Amino acid sequence: MQAIADKKGVKRYLISLTVNGDEYSPVIKGNTLLVNLLRDELDLTGTKKGCELGDCGSCTVLMNGKPVDACLVLALEADGSEIITIEGVARHGELDRLQRSFIDNAAIQCGYCTPGMILSAKALLTRNPHPTEPEVRAAIAGNLCRCTGYVNIVKAVLDAAEVKA
Amino acid sequence: MIPSTPADQKPKSIPRAYSHPGLPEPADKNYAVIGKSKPKIDAREKVTGQARYTADLKFPNMLYGKILTSPHAHARILSIDTSEAEKIPGVKAVITHKDVPTLKYGIAPARWDENIFCIETVKFVGDKVAAVACIDEETCYKALKAIKVEYEVLPAVLDPLHAMDADAPQIHPEYPLNKNTEIHQNFGDVDEAFRKADYVRTDFFIGNRTYQAPLEPHTATSIWQDGKLTVYSSTQSPHYFQYYIAREFGLPMGNVRVIKTYVGGGFGGKLEPTGLEFGGAVLARLTGRPVKMFYDRAEMFAHNRGRHRQYMKLTTGVNADGRILGVHADFIMDGGAYTSLGIASAYYAGAMLTLTYDFENYRFDMNRVYTNLPACGAQRGHGAPQPRYAFEAHLDNIAKELGIDPMEIRLRNARKPNTITPNEFVVNSCEMVACLEQARDLSGWADKKGKLPAGRGIGVATGSFVSGAGYPIYRTDLPQAAAMIKVAEDGTAATLYTGATDIGQGSDTVLCQMAAEAMGYTYEQMKIVAADTETTPHDFGAYASRQTLMSGAAVKEAGEEVRKQLLDMAGEMLGLPAEQLDVRLGKISAKENPETALSFEEAARTFFVKKGPLMGRGSYAPPKLGGKFKGAPVGTSPAYSFAAQVSEVEIDEETGVVTVLDVWDVHDCGQVINPALLHAQVHGALYMGMGESIWEEVRFDAKGKIQNPTLGEYRLPTALDMPRVHSSLVPSYEPAGPWGVKEVGEGATLPTMGCFRNAIFDAMGVSVNSLPLTPEKVWAALREKRKANGEDVWDPLACECFLE
Amino acid sequence: MFLPDFDYYAPESLTEAIGLLMQLGPSARVLAGGTDILVKMKSGLLAPSALVSLKNLHELRRIRWDADRGLVIGALATHNEICNSAVVQERFLSLAEAAHKLANNQIRNRGTIGGNLVNAIPSADLPPILIALGAYVTLKGSDGSRTLPVECFFTGVSRCALEPEREILTEVVIPPQETTGSTYLKFGLRQSGALAVVGVAAAVTMEGDVVRDARICLGAVYKTPTRAIQAEQILVGKRWNNNLLEEAGRAAVGCCLPISDIRGSAEYRRDLVRIFTRRALKCAITKGHV
Repeated sequence: MQAIADKKGVKRYLISLTVNGDEYSPVIKGNTLLVNLLRDELDLTGTKKGCELGDCGSCTVLMNGKPVDACLVLALEADGSEIITIEGVARHGELDRLQRSFIDNAAIQCGYCTPGMILSAKALLTRNPHPTEPEVRAAIAGNLCRCTGYVNIVKAVLDAAEVKA
Repeated sequence: MIPSTPADQKPKSIPRAYSHPGLPEPADKNYAVIGKSKPKIDAREKVTGQARYTADLKFPNMLYGKILTSPHAHARILSIDTSEAEKIPGVKAVITHKDVPTLKYGIAPARWDENIFCIETVKFVGDKVAAVACIDEETCYKALKAIKVEYEVLPAVLDPLHAMDADAPQIHPEYPLNKNTEIHQNFGDVDEAFRKADYVRTDFFIGNRTYQAPLEPHTATSIWQDGKLTVYSSTQSPHYFQYYIAREFGLPMGNVRVIKTYVGGGFGGKLEPTGLEFGGAVLARLTGRPVKMFYDRAEMFAHNRGRHRQYMKLTTGVNADGRILGVHADFIMDGGAYTSLGIASAYYAGAMLTLTYDFENYRFDMNRVYTNLPACGAQRGHGAPQPRYAFEAHLDNIAKELGIDPMEIRLRNARKPNTITPNEFVVNSCEMVACLEQARDLSGWADKKGKLPAGRGIGVATGSFVSGAGYPIYRTDLPQAAAMIKVAEDGTAATLYTGATDIGQGSDTVLCQMAAEAMGYTYEQMKIVAADTETTPHDFGAYASRQTLMSGAAVKEAGEEVRKQLLDMAGEMLGLPAEQLDVRLGKISAKENPETALSFEEAARTFFVKKGPLMGRGSYAPPKLGGKFKGAPVGTSPAYSFAAQVSEVEIDEETGVVTVLDVWDVHDCGQVINPALLHAQVHGALYMGMGESIWEEVRFDAKGKIQNPTLGEYRLPTALDMPRVHSSLVPSYEPAGPWGVKEVGEGATLPTMGCFRNAIFDAMGVSVNSLPLTPEKVWAALREKRKANGEDVWDPLACECFLE
Repeated sequence: MFLPDFDYYAPESLTEAIGLLMQLGPSARVLAGGTDILVKMKSGLLAPSALVSLKNLHELRRIRWDADRGLVIGALATHNEICNSAVVQERFLSLAEAAHKLANNQIRNRGTIGGNLVNAIPSADLPPILIALGAYVTLKGSDGSRTLPVECFFTGVSRCALEPEREILTEVVIPPQETTGSTYLKFGLRQSGALAVVGVAAAVTMEGDVVRDARICLGAVYKTPTRAIQAEQILVGKRWNNNLLEEAGRAAVGCCLPISDIRGSAEYRRDLVRIFTRRALKCAITKGHV
C-alpha cells in the first residue's frame, strides 16, 4: 500500500475499494474510519452514526457480504474489499423487496436505523432465505431502533422472506 | 418526604358531569382517505438512504464545532485559557462566556436559569464551558483538549432527597434550598375522604432517571449572513427554537429561520434549543462561515433532558368495595441542574393521576429540586409515567388487601365519558371501561388470573394522556396551529404547508391524508412542505401528542376552504349550485346524479385561470380550558386518550429474571387516521415504557459522572428482548377533534411500568417498589419473602472462601 | 469521537509482523478485528504509535481438525466463523454456542478469538469454555513459539501473558478429549450486546451417572476467568444428583471474588455463580454432547 507523509510526519495511504459496485481509490489518513470515508469523502450519507462504539448498528454496511459496524472498521482495513451501503440496495431505481416490505409493513418511523436494519436483514436473507422469527430477531439484534419496538421490522423481514426472489 | 403543607386553594365543589357542545359523531363515516393505512410519505427516501438528517448536510466553506464541557459536578471557574487552542492550525474560533450573550434562557419562561456558557460556576458534569469552530472534526477534538480551565471544585448536591437540607450546597443563588418548583394543590377534602374510608393505605415508590436516547445524536448547523441567522436543526419544534434563539440574540423572529431536516427521533429530548444552536450561531457570526455543531453519544447523555427520577408517596382511601374516595400524592423529583421543561413535568406528575379513575378528593404536593446532575425535561409521557406506575402498583396493593380482582377494582373506578376531573379537566370521549373489558377478554384474564403455573403472572394497568397541551409553553395568543394548502395550477398536485413537525411519528403522512380527505382529493397527489419557519405557517411542533388533533384541525379547515372554492367553481362550470356537488378522491359529481361529473383537475385548472391560485388556509386554537388555581393550565387538553394494558410475565424464581411473554394494549384514541402508523406508535411507546420498566437507567458515580453513557450499558432493549405485542382499539369518537381524533403517541408508554410490576406482583407476591424492575431487585425481593416465610435462604456472602 | 494518529502496517507474513512489532517498540499494537482496540482508542484509553494489522495473514483465519492436536482455530477466526464452522459445531458445539452469545452479529463478523483472549477482560465469553475444555494458545515470537494453557494465559484485568512487543497469538487449540458434555451459560442483562454479569462453563466426563472428571470455569467474577477447583472436587467420582450439583454450585462461590458494579452487586453475582454452576453442570451432564 502506498503511503506518503505530510510535513508533520502523519502518513496518508492510498487504498482501493469497491462501493456499491463502483471502484474508488481514495487517499486517507490512517485514523479514517470506514463510516467517515463513506459519509464525508464519498457522500454516501445513508450510513448513519448513532454511537460510534458498535452498540447501535446505525452504520451497518456489508463488507464482503457480511454486516459490520462501519464505525469500528478502519478504512485501511477495507482496502481491497467490497462494500455495499444502503445506497446500493435499490437497483436502477427499483426497490429491493426488503425495502418494499419495510414500506408496506409500516416498519419505518424516524428512519435513522432503517439503512442498517435493511442491510442486516439483507445479509440474513442472502444466507438464509427462509429464516424463523428468532433468527430474524438475532440477525437484527445489533441494530437498535428506538421507534418501532421492532414489531413491524420483524414482520417486514419475514414478509420479504416469503416473497419469492 | 416533605410534610404535607396547608393547601393554597380552598376546597370547592365542581360539577362532575357535563355534555360537550362539539361536533356530533357523523352517521356516515365512509371516508375516502383517512382511516386507511397509507404508506409513509417519506418512506422511499428513508429506505434508500436518501433522507438527509442534519448531520448529512454539507454547506460550502462549512466549519465543524464542538463544545467543551465541565468534568466536575459543581465547581467555580477560576480561569479559562484558550490561547493554546487558538494556535492550532485549522482552529477558526474559540469562544467562552465572554463572547456570547449572557441573557439567561430556558424553554420554560418561569425559570430562565441557563447560560450559553457557564460564567461563574459549572453545575453538572457536562455543563457548557467553551466552544470551538475548526476546519474538521478531528481538529475540534484537539482544540478542546488544548483549552485550559482552572476550577475550584465545590461540594455537590447529588442526592435529591437532601437537596432541600439547610446545609446543602446552593446551586442557583436565586433559588434557595435548591427548590426549583414547589406545588401544593388541593381539590375536595382529602382528609374527610380518608376519615370516611374503610381502608386507607400509604405506599412509597421510586422512579428511575431515564433518557430518550433517540438514535440520531443532536446536530445543528448555523449560517449567519447579513444579519439573518439560519439554523438547520434536528428539532421537535422549529417555532420554539426560533422564538428562543431570536430572544437570546435580540433578533426579530423574521431574521431567524429554523429549518427542520429529517429527525432521527426526539421523544421530548429535542424540544428545546441547546448549546449547539446558541454556540453555533455565535461561531457562525464570528467566522462568517456555516458551522455544524454536534453531540456524540456520551454528550447526548450529558445534555440529557430525559425523564425525572421521582420519589412518590401515595395515600389512598377506599371504601370496602374498592371505590376510591380520595388520593394524596406527595412527590419529590430530581430536576438536575437546570429547569428545562421541568416545571411542567412537575405539574404533569400530579395532574395526570386524576384521569383514568374517577374520584372527587385529591391533594398533590411536589418539590422539584435542583441537583448537580444533568437537567431533566420531558420524555414521552412527560411527568406522568412514573406516578402512573406508582399509582397502579398502589391500587393493586389495595385490591389485594380488600380481596378484589385487580381488573374489577379498575372497572369499578374507571372514568366515564363527559365527566370532569377533580382538577377540572374536561373529559369528553372516554372508553376506559371498554378498554379494560377488551384487554381483559383478549388476554384471557379470567382463565389466567390466579390460575397460571408457578412463576407466571398477569397484571393490568391504565393510562391516559393529553391530545395536545391546552396552552403553549410560553404565554402567547398565537393559535396552536396553522396550515395552508396550495393546489398546483393544473390541479394534478397539492402542497400542504404546515409547521407541524414530523420526527418519525408520521405527522407528514397523517396530515396529508387529512388534507386530501377534507379537499376531496387523493393522498397520492399530496406533497408537503413542513417545519420551516420561513416557508410554513406557525405551529408549536411535536410535543404533548398535539399534532393529529391540533395541526389536524388547522389542516382540515384549510382543506375545506379549498374544497369550497373548488365546488363553487365546479358549480359555475356545470351550471349547478355548489351545495348539490360533492368531491371525493379527485372526482366531482352531482349528489343527485353521479353521471354529472368533473375532475378535480379540470375545476382546479379553471379556477387558476379565472381567479388565480387555489389555496386554502386554516388555523386552530382550543377553547379556554381548565380551572383558576395555580398550575391549572398544565394537563388541560381538548381531549384525552385512554388505554389499558395487560401483560403476562414469567419469572425465574432463582435469578429474578423477568421474561415478558405477551402485552395487550387496548387504546381509545378516537377516529384513526392511519391504522398502520397508529399501531406502530403503540409498539414504540410500549417499547420505551418496557425499556424503562426493566432495563434502562442513567446511573451516576459518587462524583456525579454518568457511569453508563453508552447505548450498550444504558441497555436499550434489542429485538431479542421484545415480547409479543398485541395492539388493538375500541371504537371511539372525540367531539373536540377533527373527524373525532385523539392522541396515541405517548399514551401507550404510561401503563407499561405499572403493568409489569403488577404482573410480577401477581406471579410472586413480591412488590418491587422502584424502577427499573431489574432481575437483581426481583431476586432480592424474592429472597426477602422467603426469609420472611421462614425458609432457609442460602447466604452467598457467608460461604467458605477458597481463594488466598 | 476520533482516533488519535498512528502509523499503519499490513505485513504479508507472520515473520514480517513479528519483526515489525520488535522494530516499532512497545507503543505499537496488533490490530485484528478492531472491535475492542478501536473502542479503547476512541475512548482515550489507548494511543498506540502504530497498528500492525494482521488482515493479510490468511493462514491465521483457518479452523481445522487435526487428529493429533485437536481443534486448531487460527487467532483471526471471527466469532461468527467459529459459530458457523461445521467442524466446531461437530466437535465442540458448546464453543460455537458461546461464540454466538457474544456481543451482536456485526461485532461477531469482525471480532476474533485471538482478540477476545488478548483483550483479557474478565467478562469475556470465550475464555471460560476454552478453559473448561483444556484449550491452549500458541504465542509466536521472533525466537520461536511457546504454548500456554488458556487457564494460565490471563494475569489480571486486561492483562495477559502475551508480550505485545515481540509476540503474536497465532492459534487456539482444543485437544482431543474424552469429555462427554460441556456448555457455557451466560447471564447478561439483555439478550444481545450485553457483557456477562456472570458466565459459567462446565465440561464433564461421565461414566453412566458417575462424574469421572469435571472442569468448571467462571467468568466476570474475578480479575481473570477462574477455575472452580473445589466445586470440581465435590463432583469427581460421585453419582450425580441435584443436591450434589447444588453443593458444587455453592463451592464454586468460594472460588470467586466478584466486584459490585452497575451490572450487579457482588452478593447477586455470587448467588448467580451458585445457580449457573449448578445449571451448567446439569446441562453438560444431560445434554449428551460436547
